[in-house]
Amino acid sequence: MDGLGGHGGPDATDAESSAFGFHGTWREYLPIALTNLLLIVVTLGIYRFWAKARERRYLWSRTRFIDERLEWTGTGMELFVGGVLVIVLFVVPYFVMTQVAQAMMMRGQTALGAALFVIPLLAIFYLMGVARFRAIRYRLGRTNWRGIRGGSDDAGFRYGWSYMWKTAAGYAAFGLGVPWAMVSLWNQRWRAMSFGPMRFTCSADFSALMKRYLLFYFSPFLAILGLVGFVFAAAFGLQADGQFDPENPPIGVMAAIGVAFVLFYLVLGFVWLAYYAKFFRVVVGEMELGDLSFEFDAKTWDWIRLGLGDVALLVLTLGLGFVFLGYRHWRFFIAHMQAFGEIDVDGLIQSTTRRARHGEGLLDAFDMGAI
Amino acid sequence: MEQGQPIRAFWYDGVTARRHVGTVRWHGDDLREDLRDELRLHSDDGETMIVPLADLVFVERGVLDGSYSRKADDGFRLVFTDPVPEALAARLPRGARFGKWIDGLGLPRAAALFAAVSAALVALVLTAPSWLGPRIPPAWERRIGEAMVGDLQDVSCRTPASDAALAKLVRQLDPDSPPTRVSIANIDMVNAVALPGGQVLVFDGLIQESSDPDELAGVIGHEIGHVRERHVMQALLRQFGLSILLGGVNSDVGNTLFGLTAMSYSREAEREADVFSRAQMARSDISPASTADFFADLARQGEGGPGWASWIASHPMPQEREDAFRKAVVPGRAYRPSLSRAEYEAIRDACAKDPDVEPFDIF
Repeated sequence: MDGLGGHGGPDATDAESSAFGFHGTWREYLPIALTNLLLIVVTLGIYRFWAKARERRYLWSRTRFIDERLEWTGTGMELFVGGVLVIVLFVVPYFVMTQVAQAMMMRGQTALGAALFVIPLLAIFYLMGVARFRAIRYRLGRTNWRGIRGGSDDAGFRYGWSYMWKTAAGYAAFGLGVPWAMVSLWNQRWRAMSFGPMRFTCSADFSALMKRYLLFYFSPFLAILGLVGFVFAAAFGLQADGQFDPENPPIGVMAAIGVAFVLFYLVLGFVWLAYYAKFFRVVVGEMELGDLSFEFDAKTWDWIRLGLGDVALLVLTLGLGFVFLGYRHWRFFIAHMQAFGEIDVDGLIQSTTRRARHGEGLLDAFDMGAI
Repeated sequence: MEQGQPIRAFWYDGVTARRHVGTVRWHGDDLREDLRDELRLHSDDGETMIVPLADLVFVERGVLDGSYSRKADDGFRLVFTDPVPEALAARLPRGARFGKWIDGLGLPRAAALFAAVSAALVALVLTAPSWLGPRIPPAWERRIGEAMVGDLQDVSCRTPASDAALAKLVRQLDPDSPPTRVSIANIDMVNAVALPGGQVLVFDGLIQESSDPDELAGVIGHEIGHVRERHVMQALLRQFGLSILLGGVNSDVGNTLFGLTAMSYSREAEREADVFSRAQMARSDISPASTADFFADLARQGEGGPGWASWIASHPMPQEREDAFRKAVVPGRAYRPSLSRAEYEAIRDACAKDPDVEPFDIF
């Protein structure tokens, strides 16, 4: 019996004592990023599939779990095949259907045309759920640790239906059911996943999220009230000492409104991140794999810094910095992941799940993140 | 290091997560051929595993000397912790860095090659409309147009009198066969558009704004010019090509009729259409003076109402066009009105008098 302990936790300040570690450096990654960028540009974007595989191979290889590195075994060709499949099976039929629908409506067959218009939209909705499921499955299936990989026996088609009705139900209750839908779907998709012989379990409860969600839910109203006050005060020159000089406002009305709008969306974004940070802590905190339990310790402020850093990177590099986004996000993710408990490496036998021979094309097409 | 000497290594067998630590032996100069082509892995706890060299795949890791997996991608992983003798290193597979083709060519040459192919592709897509458009048979365009917008008779304004008047106008402007189909759309905007498949839509707003049939003749002649000069097909191809270049997924090729009316023609194409219009008018003794007045009106009112904005946006430089039409008036020539007063009135009243005209609410 050969057991390995997972360590770490809130009081483990030393990075090496955490079960997860990332020791890549941007200098080391830079040649990969730059050659990826070059090849993406000269191939009109087609190389991005191979670029993604190279990026992951690097990131995974610099990621330690307990005492061994992860390994990415996916290939660019796989992702490319996934992308082509999406175009053939989805984009082309979608394009044809909307064209036919439009032609129908032009001929006065409004009902039939509208149906042909709605069906592809429903299909997109359904496939977004399937895509999210299959992307996690794909990534687990291509992630090796000590020669063992993960996966799922479920193809995700049933999950697509759950995704549809739960999301719809969440929004139907005036949007108040969104946290329930998000948590319930998270539980559902991770319970279908496994690593080696072990199933993931996840039984997160959404009620802990409601306080922050309601804050987000009502923040537009609060923000509007506050901003109206701000605009008036700023525009009409209400000064700190209470002096009011309408002839000489400190900033113009338009400028005040402009600042107000920027603040509005910025604040709303931050409040959403406050909710999302809590969401991630709650759902990851309830995940277990065998005797391992997980924790994600990023606070709202960490997410805000990640987001602002992304924006700064993109702005300063005129958008070319996008090749570094994957690196930043992975480093953030690993830096905040913790695991506790024990792994029996003899009992951790190879996964028997089937692996699809194509990558996460759908998810790629919808441009969503997997986790 | 002598061949057959043990090399320290560790490996995972892909069956369990247990790490096997031990030695690798390779008998590269053995008399038995089969022994030359395999590695023997002896773990310190006494297990032995044989791996054919041909099965190995290099895994890029960058930290140690490199590790190897098997082609079957079954989780097997071999990592040498001792230096690998040169003779064996020569037999071990090398890693792919950028992908098979690029590694074969070398990055600079591959990048240059891809750039050249991409540039050629972009050039092809950008220039295709102008050389491919006119070569597409009009019958095909007609079919494409019918598939995209259908027959617009249902939503257009028509009375027997207006049909007859419009047909007479088109006969004078469009000598080719089959004649371009021109219809009146029940839309209160000052605009006229040429659609794929040789259909021309004159908006009722423009008709109400016109003051005589010759003015209509100038505008309709212009749109027929777009059809006959194959500008419509070129614009379609250009939109299609651009949407492919810009990612393919977001392909809104004429997604709505609105998209089609927003199709812009080059200034060159606008001039060609005007030249066509003037030539047809001259052929049928229609005076271009009214059309010149129409452009003068446009130039004047252009700054104002939103109703004019669409025409201005899609048909630039009304001043220049007014001058061109003004110059085309031949002094002393006996021009005939293109339609009689009664015929012109029939066109003006088409939308009001058509009993089953449908509201055109796509806009």
